Amino acid sequence: MSAQFATKRLGKELQKIRNSRLPPGIELVSAENLEEWLLDIQVLDDNPLYQNQTYRLKFRFGSTYPIEPPEVVFVKLSDRPIPMHPHIYSNGIICLDLLGQQGWSPVQNVESVCMSLQSMLTGNSKNERPPGDDDFVRANQLRPKDIEFYYHDNTV
Amino acid sequence: MPPPNTPEEGVTAPGTRPASPTLPRPSSPHLSSVIAYASRADSAVLELDYQAIEYIGHVDETLLCPVCRTPFHSPITTPCGHTFCAGCINRALEMQPSCPIDRQPINKTRDYHRLPLIVKDQLDRLKVKCPNNGCDHECLREHLEGHYERRCQFTLVRCPDTNCTKRVARRDSLPENGCMHRDICCQYCNEVMMVAELDAHYDHGCTGAVAVCSECDATVVRHRLEKHKSNDCPEAEARCKWQSAGCRVAKKRRIVREHERDGCLFEAIGRLLDERSEDRKIIDDLTGRLTTLEMRNRRREVRRERRNETAARPTNGSVSLDIVDLGLSEDGTLFAGSATDNGAWASPEDYMLAQFERMETQMDDLRKKMMEMDAHQSLNLLQHTARANEQLAELASKVGVLNMHTTWLMNMQRQNYAQQRSGSVAGPPNNGMPATSDDGAARAASENAVRRQEGNRRNSDGRGENPPRL
Ligand SMILES: [Zn+2]
Ligand SMILES: [Zn+2]
Ligand SMILES: [Zn+2]
Ligand SMILES: [Zn+2]
Ligand SMILES: [Zn+2]
Ligand SMILES: [Zn+2]
Ligand SMILES: [Zn+2]
Repeated sequence: MSAQFATKRLGKELQKIRNSRLPPGIELVSAENLEEWLLDIQVLDDNPLYQNQTYRLKFRFGSTYPIEPPEVVFVKLSDRPIPMHPHIYSNGIICLDLLGQQGWSPVQNVESVCMSLQSMLTGNSKNERPPGDDDFVRANQLRPKDIEFYYHDNTV
Repeated sequence: MPPPNTPEEGVTAPGTRPASPTLPRPSSPHLSSVIAYASRADSAVLELDYQAIEYIGHVDETLLCPVCRTPFHSPITTPCGHTFCAGCINRALEMQPSCPIDRQPINKTRDYHRLPLIVKDQLDRLKVKCPNNGCDHECLREHLEGHYERRCQFTLVRCPDTNCTKRVARRDSLPENGCMHRDICCQYCNEVMMVAELDAHYDHGCTGAVAVCSECDATVVRHRLEKHKSNDCPEAEARCKWQSAGCRVAKKRRIVREHERDGCLFEAIGRLLDERSEDRKIIDDLTGRLTTLEMRNRRREVRRERRNETAARPTNGSVSLDIVDLGLSEDGTLFAGSATDNGAWASPEDYMLAQFERMETQMDDLRKKMMEMDAHQSLNLLQHTARANEQLAELASKVGVLNMHTTWLMNMQRQNYAQQRSGSVAGPPNNGMPATSDDGAARAASENAVRRQEGNRRNSDGRGENPPRL
């Protein structure tokens, strides 16, 4: 039942994207099944950190979407780097409360998440990774959702 | 609430009255509704899945639930003024006890408000397609449940075999068919399948004794040839589906189909006629009820006069006879049934009382119908204002969302600032979007930002849950 709910909602989103296109700088790469989507995003202003770059995003949807957030990471490919940002680890994991259980709202959707990420990059001027990036990436093989939990725990 | 076309306890036509000595009590349900109710109870159809419904034509964005993105189904409004399907908001509240749009705290159920009837009416009047496989019925959404639950031949009901727990389409659910889930061997190609699948197998996939259509060279199972020619064959003669509206087009089916798709000139008229005949039916129904009621009323008054007269003379036996005479003379056929029943009543008073009660319920029914029609009328008048109002509300909610996003962005900026200045980066930075916005300066700034963004914001994204673009 719930899984059907997620599937239908994603179907609606896909339909809307196909009918009216995504905002500039966001492109749907693949949505072959309703569990995993790939999108490309670009930063459209002249922030020198991200100029002329395209970044690949991977969305994974659970059966509880949109009640619970999707899992969103940047993916590294030969022509798709991981953007430099103090909230983005070099393995593509994104630290954004919008994507956490607390910050998420079921009225968000793929498009609005992409736009939030765009503006998160736009507003950044620091050419750096989160503190402890090396250790974190080396030590951590967990999935993003689990990491966040571990993460909160560690900082208290 | 039952769908509007539920058979109700209506005017009992005298011919359908049971011949038993006891008249049906005014409150006892009409026979047909008893049957409908019973068949509904034991066929136990699956609940209609509102998310699976396909809507015809454009649905206004304001009628879409922000959580499931389909037109609202039994919607409620939160104290903060946002509307969701009851199911959707309940699900969302299990995760977080606050409004998904503006994070205002919500107390499940207790804080819900009902939606203005005018919006409900708009939802009721959306055009939909029946979600059942194989059915191409189209109707207003308010009528869909009735169609799905009681009339659609493709709704899945229990298998007629009581030992079987599977479901079958209603049209196949005949006791003489037996269980539709036993295996059967196709008599044309020897393939084995379930009985329920046979029909679809004949239409596609059967490789046995085939015939070739003389018109289009398609191969079909032999005994489906007639059906193919009259319903599907692209080369056979067919008529435009708006022929009742005056379209004279009658050519090969594929040309006619094209003609229909390109927009038959008579389509608008045809649709209008359809609507009119629907309205006509309702009006006829109402007029019928009204005349019956008026007739009864007149009869009752005459009878009362008679009784008052006879009450003066204490000749008891003639009373009921007079009534019978009267009923027959006034409209012989209509009243013949109750004339014989009349004797079963303990006294004329009882009978009168029963009649009176029944009439009252019928009056109530009529009044309800009238009010419904009235509501439709005023809806038409008010629709324009409603739309404007909704657009205003939509704008307001967009501004709210924008506000939320700017506050969030401002806060992030401020945090970055603070971090930069203090130079100490303690702990990972994942607590963005703090809810505090009571900083006067930040608020003023964010309001400015909202104004700025509204200027250059993309204009077509409807509900406005999208964050501002910078
Ligand atoms: Zn909904
Ligand atoms: Zn709200
Ligand atoms: Zn149907
Ligand atoms: Zn069966
Ligand atoms: Zn066959
Ligand atoms: Zn043919
Ligand atoms: Zn035509």
